[in-house]
Amino acid sequence: MIELSIGQEVEMEYGGKAQVLSVIGSGGQGTVYLVRYNGMKWALKWYDVDKIRNPKAFRKNIQNNISDGPPSNKFLWPKYLTKENADGTFGYLMELKPESFDSFVDILNTYKLTVDPFTGRSSKKPVRFSSLYAMVTAVINIVNAFRQLHRAGKSYQDLNDGGFFINVDTGAVLVCDCDNIAPDGNNFGIGGKPGYMAPEVVRGVAKPNVQTDKYSLAVVLFKLLFRGDPMEGEKVVKDVCLTESSELKHYGQNAVFVYDPEDSSNRPVRGIHDNVIKFWRIYPDYIKDAFVRSFTAGILEPTKRIIENEWQKLFIRLRSEIIQCGCGRTNFCSMFERPDIKTFKCPKCGSLFGSLKFSNRNYRTPLYLGSVFYACEIDPDSEDFQTVAGELVENRLKPGVLGFKNTSELTWRAKMPNGDFYEIPPGKGFPVWQGLQIDFGKVQATL
Amino acid sequence: MSKNKKPAAPNAAGNPAAAAADAAEEIKKNAQSQFEVADSLLDFEEDDPLSATSVSKKSLVIFFLIDTSGSMKGKKMGELNTVMEELIPEIRRVGEADTEVKIAVLTFGTQVRWMYSEPIPIEDFEWARLRADGVTSMGEAFKELSARMSRNSFLNSPSLSFAPVIFLMTDGYPSDDYKPALADLQQNSWYKFGLKAALGIGNEANDDMLAEFTGTPDTVVHAYSGGQLAQMIKIIAVTSAQIGSKSMTLSDDTNHELTAEEVRAAKQKLLGQQIQDSMTNLGDADAVSFDTGW
Repeated sequence: MIELSIGQEVEMEYGGKAQVLSVIGSGGQGTVYLVRYNGMKWALKWYDVDKIRNPKAFRKNIQNNISDGPPSNKFLWPKYLTKENADGTFGYLMELKPESFDSFVDILNTYKLTVDPFTGRSSKKPVRFSSLYAMVTAVINIVNAFRQLHRAGKSYQDLNDGGFFINVDTGAVLVCDCDNIAPDGNNFGIGGKPGYMAPEVVRGVAKPNVQTDKYSLAVVLFKLLFRGDPMEGEKVVKDVCLTESSELKHYGQNAVFVYDPEDSSNRPVRGIHDNVIKFWRIYPDYIKDAFVRSFTAGILEPTKRIIENEWQKLFIRLRSEIIQCGCGRTNFCSMFERPDIKTFKCPKCGSLFGSLKFSNRNYRTPLYLGSVFYACEIDPDSEDFQTVAGELVENRLKPGVLGFKNTSELTWRAKMPNGDFYEIPPGKGFPVWQGLQIDFGKVQATL
Repeated sequence: MSKNKKPAAPNAAGNPAAAAADAAEEIKKNAQSQFEVADSLLDFEEDDPLSATSVSKKSLVIFFLIDTSGSMKGKKMGELNTVMEELIPEIRRVGEADTEVKIAVLTFGTQVRWMYSEPIPIEDFEWARLRADGVTSMGEAFKELSARMSRNSFLNSPSLSFAPVIFLMTDGYPSDDYKPALADLQQNSWYKFGLKAALGIGNEANDDMLAEFTGTPDTVVHAYSGGQLAQMIKIIAVTSAQIGSKSMTLSDDTNHELTAEEVRAAKQKLLGQQIQDSMTNLGDADAVSFDTGW
């Protein structure tokens, strides 16, 4: 392994030099350094070319990715290649991760280590989502990033928990380690990270592609929500020691989902898989069903795996079903009592929440002060899950009176207590009342 | 529609009397429910989707077996102590979110001794500087290791484990009869599946004997000088910790259905390859040879 030393200069492909300032971290294929280039700080990934099967083709692929550009701003994409050294080593520059983002690994660990540079002593700092809203938003962002990538005809190949940075306050996501991304069907030697690899890749009968990405994505989502391994249950723990052959068995040839409805041989074990046991009870059925499908039928039949578009819809629904009760309890509406079809009741404080029935959904969406809906939820042609189109607010002049505010760019029509429909232009609001009907244009909603 | 902490009464907001009644109702209910809340508080925390503990992890113990006989005294021991102090923080994060890595250090001079009475999580591990003295009781060390590498002793994690990493460092030949102890150790299943590597220090260390311990010459390296010693300890420790703490990517390079037989000992083979690759890239250390100038 040829490492770079601090202060060393690396020549860039199109001129100029990047100076190495410090080491950021090491991975399976090389080391990431903090460098200065053209007066700015960048991250330099420097390859251990011994660990890359065909460095020339690998470099060419990165070059292609640089010229194609990232599918969206959710990717920490390669920006500039370095020159190739005489011994074939090279690297590329990418933007630095902003301070406000934490690694997915730290989120799964629930803490990060900060090390005192003088004593070398480490201390643990908690890393947690500050709200359920932020967590579900992070899931939507992850799914959406891979949807964009796959739509660009590329596959990520090495999808695992090391590939993301997440802002735990907002749910914003940055996908990193984009250097193995390749046009679907191409592979430059990366197999992937065990536990995240699709069973057919573990077994040796397939190379990473868009279909195997879908499996890995389901694992990433499962880990984020249920905080455990979807394939590690009683059957696996019984082996005590995870040798290479037990791994081939439990993650390849005979992978059994811990909540496979047809096969209970691999259920989570209390004392070891407590997170999974706890969270499986909490999530609504439509989310659990999607995981069951991914990890049962989807094991042998890649076409049965959930596509990103479908995940995105499921999680946009899940986001709309979070109730933040004034008593502090925040949970999905499926965890609230349902005194009647239109009402949700907090089991902790007894507060009641009304709901909206949208014409394009066959379920009711709960309402609470501060609840919002997004552009894609009131316009079937919109894919915008980030722009708030409407919000339930309290009237500034009449405290206690609640109403909807139109924050979209469309003019809505709302039925008022006198029975007439009024036009509600952007920026305006209207009170909530029992017979309320809203016409968003292509979608209608009733209270 | 909802108003926080208020029972649904759609017109209450516009009607002061109704609002007051609501408020009274609310106070009453809060007073009543205090006890209920206290009783069921645990349940509500229990079903908070954000109340996760760390993701369930696999467990890996890295065993360092270190020769502390008299011949290690001086530069060798000093360098070894320093490189180990530096090394531990560098590999702290090696387990990522998958593996809890623990460290156990067994020293053998005249006496065989554990640095700590049980394996310590790498994040909390602090290297206690070792001192060299006495003869090389390596056979005793093998015996002790075999006794501790058991589900009832050091490898008692209730969750799934990876096979341990066992890294032996010595500068001499065992002064006791190590053969029966090694034969016994080789029957230990954890040892069988474990990742074994050895570092010989100086001219006295015997690579053949070390290969008997590791089961393969590929994971035996030899340091003849300072500088080399530090580099080699780091390479072996980092590489074996990385490979040991992760599941294995079994399938690179195949295009057929793998069999259990094909993947057997794949990690040990990978470790051998990576150590050998790293050794060819290792520059000749310009430091003074270990066996001169004492």
